Amino acid sequence: MNIYVCVGSSCHLKGSYDIIELMKEAIEKNELTEKVNLSAAFCLGKCTSGVTIKIEDEIICGVSANNFHEIFNKNVLK
Amino acid sequence: MNSLCTDIGYHSLNKHGEQLCGDHIEIVSQGENSIVMVLADGLGSGVKANILSTLTAKIISTMMANAMSIEDCVATIAATLPVCELRGIAYSTFTIIRVVDNKEAEIIQYDNPHVILLRDGKNIIFNETAMEIEGKKIYKSKVQICQDDTFIAMSDGAVHAGIGREMNLGWQRDDIIEFMQMIYDCEFTAKTLSTLLLSECNKLYGGEPNDDTTVCAIKIRQRNQMNLMIGPPADSTDVNKMMSLFFSKEGKHIVCGGTTSALAADFLGKNVVTEMTYRNPEIPPTATIEGVDLVTEGVITINKVLAYAQNYLKDNECYTDWSCMRDGASLISRLLFEEATDINFYVGKAINPAHQNPDLPINFSIKMRLVDELSDCLKKMGKRIKVSHF
Repeated sequence: MNIYVCVGSSCHLKGSYDIIELMKEAIEKNELTEKVNLSAAFCLGKCTSGVTIKIEDEIICGVSANNFHEIFNKNVLK
Repeated sequence: MNSLCTDIGYHSLNKHGEQLCGDHIEIVSQGENSIVMVLADGLGSGVKANILSTLTAKIISTMMANAMSIEDCVATIAATLPVCELRGIAYSTFTIIRVVDNKEAEIIQYDNPHVILLRDGKNIIFNETAMEIEGKKIYKSKVQICQDDTFIAMSDGAVHAGIGREMNLGWQRDDIIEFMQMIYDCEFTAKTLSTLLLSECNKLYGGEPNDDTTVCAIKIRQRNQMNLMIGPPADSTDVNKMMSLFFSKEGKHIVCGGTTSALAADFLGKNVVTEMTYRNPEIPPTATIEGVDLVTEGVITINKVLAYAQNYLKDNECYTDWSCMRDGASLISRLLFEEATDINFYVGKAINPAHQNPDLPINFSIKMRLVDELSDCLKKMGKRIKVSHF
């Protein structure tokens, strides 16, 4: 599974750094390091509603520390 | 015109407790490849010394730049400087370095510690001819310049550093030569060399200099062109034109901005590979595109570069940050401040709708202002700047 976290200007300001850290943590905790390929991406084109992430081909906007675990459980763990 | 240029870096420490510096540096350029630098150290400290040294440096640099003889300059100073009530003399020492066509240096010295010349990082002793003008003993030298020759001029505050603290006799000129030979690195700019020497002096003074201390480094270096692109063009049909002009330029290429780097990668037929490591949580990670020397995010990174540039022109205190960190802003700073002498900016004026959000501290006018302010700073560093808008 490929996961991209946008680190473009807008998403950066809205907290990409924290999302990457949360993502790393969650992937490790769930023992998914072998299965998930986490990368950063320059602008995913959804600047107004960051932080934007892309899981496979699905773009998810408005990720924050508050809703991170909900999104992770729903889209990554399934 | 040759492919060399003169890189000058200088800075002063004020005597502890003084608001004004009694040393003064004045630089006048004569055409493209010739400059006159005057370092003057006024008698005493504070306001009086400041006036004496400013007058001296201004008068000499202006007269020398207009091809007047050193005899005339000295006579003018002797007739102009106000006489000190306390000591009954009008006095300011001076060091003049005039670089002609980046080929020859003429050095004239009066009572300052003698200029140090480093060639390939090693001290070179050059001939000095003594002469007497208006009762003052003045030393004159002519040096044929080689690439990367570095001249170091200083006020006596530099050689007095450490007196009564770390060392009984202070820091002698020979100690300074040894120190400079030890830290010398061909990649260092004049500003870096002068900052390193001055901070060593400050350390020896225990952070409280007993005298105004000034160091000026002049380095004759190879010109080096660099190109930086930021922002997509206002008219999207201009993308190819902007890219082909940018990539046809000689020298390294820096691309800033998410959309801009996607367009550049498209143009080159390569992929953008974004790094995931945040080297510095404040600055978005960099990326790589085959064929581009550096790829970074746009406004936030450039904003930091501007802050570093402004600091560089002041006391260069942030040098230790940007000179070794690996984040985008530090990498750009090293390329622009240290490596480049000629910089071409390619600025796209497209408006990113996402940045017009009032919640975000970035918008179009800020981006334009950043580039303007950054190019002003770089000009003050002595670089040749060309900005093209698309």
